[in-house]
Amino acid sequence: MNLSFFTDGGGMHAWAIATAAMVAAGCGLVGTLLVVRRMSLLGDAISHAMLPGIVIAVLAGGRPGGLLVLLGAVAAALLTVWLTQVLRTEGGLAEDAGAGVAFTTLFALGVVMVTAVASRIDLDPACVLHGVLELVPFDTVPVLGFEVPRAFLTAAVVFVGLSLAVIITWKMQVFTAFDAEAARAAGVPVAAVTTGLLVATALATVAGFEAVGAILVVAMLVVPAATAELLTRRLHRITILAILLGVAAAGIGYLVAWWCNTSAAGMIAVVLGCEYLLAVFFAPDDGLVSRVFTRGWFHWRVACEDRLAACWRREEMAAQGNPLVVANRPNLGERLADRWLAITGRLNHGPRGWTLTRRGREQADMVVRSHRLWETWLGRHADLPLDHLHPPAEWIEHHLGADVRRRIEAEVGTRASDPHGRSIPPEP
Amino acid sequence: MPAPPVSNASPRVSPILEFHDVTVAYGRRPVLWNIDLAIDDACLFGIIGPNGAGKSTLLKAALGLVPLAGGSIRFFGQPFAEVRSQVGYVPQRETVDWDFPVSVSDVVLMGTYARLGWFRRPGPRERDLARESLKRVGLADVAGRQIGKLSGGQQQRVFLARALAQQADVYVLDEPMAGVDARSQELIFGVLSELRDAGRLVLVVHHDLRTAAQWFDRVALIDRRLVAAGPTATVLTSENLERTYVGRLDLLDELGRAVEERGRTS
Repeated sequence: MNLSFFTDGGGMHAWAIATAAMVAAGCGLVGTLLVVRRMSLLGDAISHAMLPGIVIAVLAGGRPGGLLVLLGAVAAALLTVWLTQVLRTEGGLAEDAGAGVAFTTLFALGVVMVTAVASRIDLDPACVLHGVLELVPFDTVPVLGFEVPRAFLTAAVVFVGLSLAVIITWKMQVFTAFDAEAARAAGVPVAAVTTGLLVATALATVAGFEAVGAILVVAMLVVPAATAELLTRRLHRITILAILLGVAAAGIGYLVAWWCNTSAAGMIAVVLGCEYLLAVFFAPDDGLVSRVFTRGWFHWRVACEDRLAACWRREEMAAQGNPLVVANRPNLGERLADRWLAITGRLNHGPRGWTLTRRGREQADMVVRSHRLWETWLGRHADLPLDHLHPPAEWIEHHLGADVRRRIEAEVGTRASDPHGRSIPPEP
Repeated sequence: MPAPPVSNASPRVSPILEFHDVTVAYGRRPVLWNIDLAIDDACLFGIIGPNGAGKSTLLKAALGLVPLAGGSIRFFGQPFAEVRSQVGYVPQRETVDWDFPVSVSDVVLMGTYARLGWFRRPGPRERDLARESLKRVGLADVAGRQIGKLSGGQQQRVFLARALAQQADVYVLDEPMAGVDARSQELIFGVLSELRDAGRLVLVVHHDLRTAAQWFDRVALIDRRLVAAGPTATVLTSENLERTYVGRLDLLDELGRAVEERGRTS
C-alpha cells in the first residue's frame, strides 16, 4: 500500500477514514461521560430509538446528515428517555427493563417504517443498521470550493459543537456525575445537565448513523471509554484517551477491512474490541499481565526469604549446641530459590550444606526479626495458645517494613524475647 | 481562618435556621410530621433518632433535595435557594461511587464550583483553598490520589474538606461518623468544633447516643416527629429517650401508608 491509496479517486479512502474518525471522536467524548455515570445502556437505547425519528424526518423532506434529521433523532432520543422514566414511575419497571421496553419498541417501529417506505425515500434499510462507510465519499457538498462528503461535514460540526459544550459544562458534568445530591444542593441544574448529556448522545450517534449504522455506533460510544477507564484514573485523561482510541480504531479498522475486503464499520468495531482486550491484559496497574507478574514476583520473594530464614534458624540451633539432624528434602521451588540465592551471593554451599553469607544473614535477620516481633506483639494482644502464633507470623513476616517493626519494638521493648523465649535480632 | 459569618439583616432577628411546621412526604406518604425547630445561635447541633426516624430526610428537606408537603424552612430568614452558597452539605459517604475517576483534590475543588458559576475555572485561589481544607482534615499528603484508594474514614474527611472549601456559614452533615475509624472521628469532631468556635452553625445527623451526649451542644430528638429539642443535658433524659426509641409511634407509619393507598385508589 502506498500514498496513492489515500489520494486516488479524489481521496476516497482518506475521506472515509476521516469521517469514521470524526464520528469516533464525538462518540468517545460523549461515551466517556455516559460510561462513568453508569449510563451506557441509555446510550445503547438512544442510538437505537432514534431510528423512527430519522425516518420521519426523512419522510418530511430532510436529508441524511441534515438539520431536520438531527432534530428528529434528538426528539426520538428524548422520547425514549421520557418513556423509560414513565415506565419506571407509573409502570413500576426497573430502569434497565424500562429502557429495554422503550428502545426496542421504538427501534422496531423504525425498522418497520424504513422497510415499508424504502422505495420512496433515500434511506436503505441495510445501511441504517450497518452503515456503508465505503459509500460516504460519494455524497458530497461543496465547502469553500472543495467537495466535502456530507457525512464528514455533519460529524465534524457535531464533534466541534460537542467539544465546546463539554469544555464549557465540564465542571458541572463532573460534579453531577460524581455526586448529584451535593451538586443539586450547590445549585447545579442537575436535570438540565443530564438532559444535555442525553441530547449530546443523540447528536453524536446520529452523526455516525450513516457511516457506521445504528448498531455499531454503540460500540464507538461505549468501548473506547471502557478501554480508557482501564488505562488511566483521571476523568479528563480518560476522555482524551477514549477519543484517541476511537480515532485509531477508525483508521486501523478501515485499512484492515479494505485489505480483507469486508465491512469497514464492522471491522472498526472489531478493532475497538481488540483494543479493549489488549487493555485488559496490559493495563499498567490492573492489567492481567501486571497482576500475574506482581503476584509471581511476590511468591518468589517469599520463597527466597523462607529459605534464608530456614538457614538462619538452622545456624541458630547449631550455635546453641543442638544441630538439626534431619533436614527436610527441599522441593523443586526451594532448590531453585537456593540456587538463585547462591548466584546473588546470599548463600554459600559448604561441606555441611547451605550457609548464609554476610549479605544473606543481614536479610535473614530482618525476616526472623519481623517474625518474632509479630509473635511477641500478637502474644500480648490476643489471648492465644503458643502454637497459634507461628502461622500468622510466618505470613506477616514478608509484609512488615522497617517503620512498622520499629513501632512494634517501641511497644514491646527492645530487650524482649519472643513468646518461645528466643531472642529477636536488632534493626541494623 | 475564614472570616466570621456575615449576617444578612444587620440586627439579626431571624434564627440561623428555622423549620416551621414542616411535613415531608415521599410520594404521597408522609415520613416527617409537623416539625417546629429554631436554631438561633452558632453551635454543634445534633439530630438524633432511631433508624428510619426521618433524620436524613429533614436535612434533605432543608437543602431543597426533597419537596415539602407543608410548612417552610428558612436560613437567616430566607429560603434556601437564596443562601445556597452559605450552606455546605456533607452527604452520607455511601451515596456516591468511590471508584469514580477523580482525585482527592478534584473532589475538594467541587466545593468551590457553586461560587465559580458556569464559566470560571478553579484558579490559584481555589487551589489554595482546597489545599488548606485538605490540610485541616489531615489529608494534605494524599491530594493527588484516586479517591477509591482511600479508607472509609479518609473518604469522609474528603467530603468534609469539600464543604470547608465552600467557606460556608452553616454546615450540614449526614452521619459523618458512620463507619469511620476512631482517629478520623476525632479529627472530624475537632474540625467541627473549630467551625462552631468560629461562629458557624454545624448541624449533624447522628445515631450514636453515647457519643452524642459528649459531642453536641444542643440536640433534637426525632422520630418522625420532634420529640424534644434544646441543650443536650436537658434533652437526653431517660424519659425523652424512651419516647423516641421505645414508644415508637406505629400509628404514624400506618397513617402514612393509609394516605399513600388512598392517594393511589382515588
